[in-house]
Amino acid sequence: MTDDSTAPAVQLKGCTRRFDTPSGGEYVAVRDVDLTIAPGRFVSIVGPTGCGKSTLLNMAAGLLEPSSGEVFGFGEPLRGLNRRASYMFQQDALLPWKTVRDNVALGLKMRGVASAEANERALHWLRRVGLEGFANRYPYQLSGGMRKRTTVAQTWIVDPDVLLMDEPFSALDIQTRQLMENELLQLWQGSNKAVLFVTHDLDEAIALSDEVVLLGVGPGSRVVGRYEVDLDRPRDLMDIRSRPEFVRIYEEIWSQLKEEVMKTYAKDSPALAK
Amino acid sequence: METSPAPAAGRPADTSGTVVEPGDGLPGTRRRRRGRRGAVIRVLQVVLAVAVLGGWELLTSLRVIDPFFFPRPSDIAVRIWEWISTGYILDDLAVTLEEALLAFVIGSVLGLVVGFLLARVSLLAGVLDPYLKMFNALPRVVLAPIFLLWFGLGIWSKVAFGVTLVFFIVFFNTFQGVRDVDRVLVDNVRMLGASEYHLVRHVLLPSALTWIFSSLHISAGFAITGAVVGEYLGAAKGVGYVIAQSEGVFDTTGVFAGMIILMLVVLVIDLLVNRLEALLLRWQDPAKTA
Repeated sequence: MTDDSTAPAVQLKGCTRRFDTPSGGEYVAVRDVDLTIAPGRFVSIVGPTGCGKSTLLNMAAGLLEPSSGEVFGFGEPLRGLNRRASYMFQQDALLPWKTVRDNVALGLKMRGVASAEANERALHWLRRVGLEGFANRYPYQLSGGMRKRTTVAQTWIVDPDVLLMDEPFSALDIQTRQLMENELLQLWQGSNKAVLFVTHDLDEAIALSDEVVLLGVGPGSRVVGRYEVDLDRPRDLMDIRSRPEFVRIYEEIWSQLKEEVMKTYAKDSPALAK
Repeated sequence: METSPAPAAGRPADTSGTVVEPGDGLPGTRRRRRGRRGAVIRVLQVVLAVAVLGGWELLTSLRVIDPFFFPRPSDIAVRIWEWISTGYILDDLAVTLEEALLAFVIGSVLGLVVGFLLARVSLLAGVLDPYLKMFNALPRVVLAPIFLLWFGLGIWSKVAFGVTLVFFIVFFNTFQGVRDVDRVLVDNVRMLGASEYHLVRHVLLPSALTWIFSSLHISAGFAITGAVVGEYLGAAKGVGYVIAQSEGVFDTTGVFAGMIILMLVVLVIDLLVNRLEALLLRWQDPAKTA
């Protein structure tokens, strides 16, 4: 991990999050997690299903408060929502009753930018994500990939310092997904934005990130590994997966991820049998 | 009277029963086949109307059916024409529509505000829940006499009556709409910097409005029901009053004429509501709501 003299963009210190279960019990999603993302770094969180990846992201966003431990944004303890972060959700989060342009301009308008200027900048962003000419469509009229592009424009237009992404491309078909990943990297390159990217796809995590953080089996997941990904940038995701360095890093992380996945299975099977 | 039209999951049911026209992009042959089918249905509909009305006319002429209780369709048509051409009914119709419109607007605004408040303030919802249920369980017609005493024979007793009908429909739909709003939409807008006001304006209100518009047919119908029933029970003007007067002198032709005029008015209103709904909910995927 790099030791930055400036404050980290996002820092989780000893964060634990418990949830009450409907049966009156308690469920610990993540336990004692330390996580540091320096400004401009691309960090992915990978782990088996149900390991609390999204919980970490929601704590970084301020949507969830840690039960114990603390979250910092640029050195300041987080109170309420993380105002310097944008969040890209796994599910469709566009407002269905607003046109593409109005969805993209929304963040600016709510920050008090004049309507005409906000619309102007929204159109500019729509050009950047290749959706020129779709400004007046409604979300239902777009394909899944186009909706994701709209979401990218919506989250980037407010120029956040931190981008939180929760499996943003998992619903897309594999080709669209690779295209979107490439475009994301092109946008991010040189933007000096910190990215915290959650995925269950190790491939995607390595291809995109500077650092991959591996979460262990839930409940009570902890960080079980951190891997530096020292592949050159800018990267071309279309052929990076066959490069020997990529394969080496993949195998290194997969050997440990595999163990965690097997543990999940071992845990789940008796639970299912009950 | 059934006043909770909100179905459990997803979207409110389409209660209008209108047939959605096939969109563009249908293969030519299929569309032609549908067009032919549509023509056949139209012809059969006309045949049915002619058979029923003609049979009725014939049977009353032959005195098989007593025209005192079932006046001849031709007499009813003549009466309707008289009432309209002489302007006899127009004043009464205007009064009925005014009452219905006021009931609709006041009931909707109240339902919207209360539904919103209760959906956002769970303490209030918890406290008021049994009382709202009790009030909604009350057969609304029994309120008409007390409203007549409170608000007099003029329009306001009918408006108040209509409000009690419209309010609950809009209230339940607003409550449901605000409560059912997609959590992700709320989180997304909050992360984009929304204040509580923004949240209401950009997410909660539009979400509730989709439910309210879908119930517009029902609430508009109830507004008119409220006005007419109120007039019937005691008024000096209005279509309900005209029907009651005709009944008082055993003029069944007048009663039927009043009924049919009301029916036509409600049909026209329903068409207008369809137009309004299509305009305001144009962002909805027609394939999903069809």
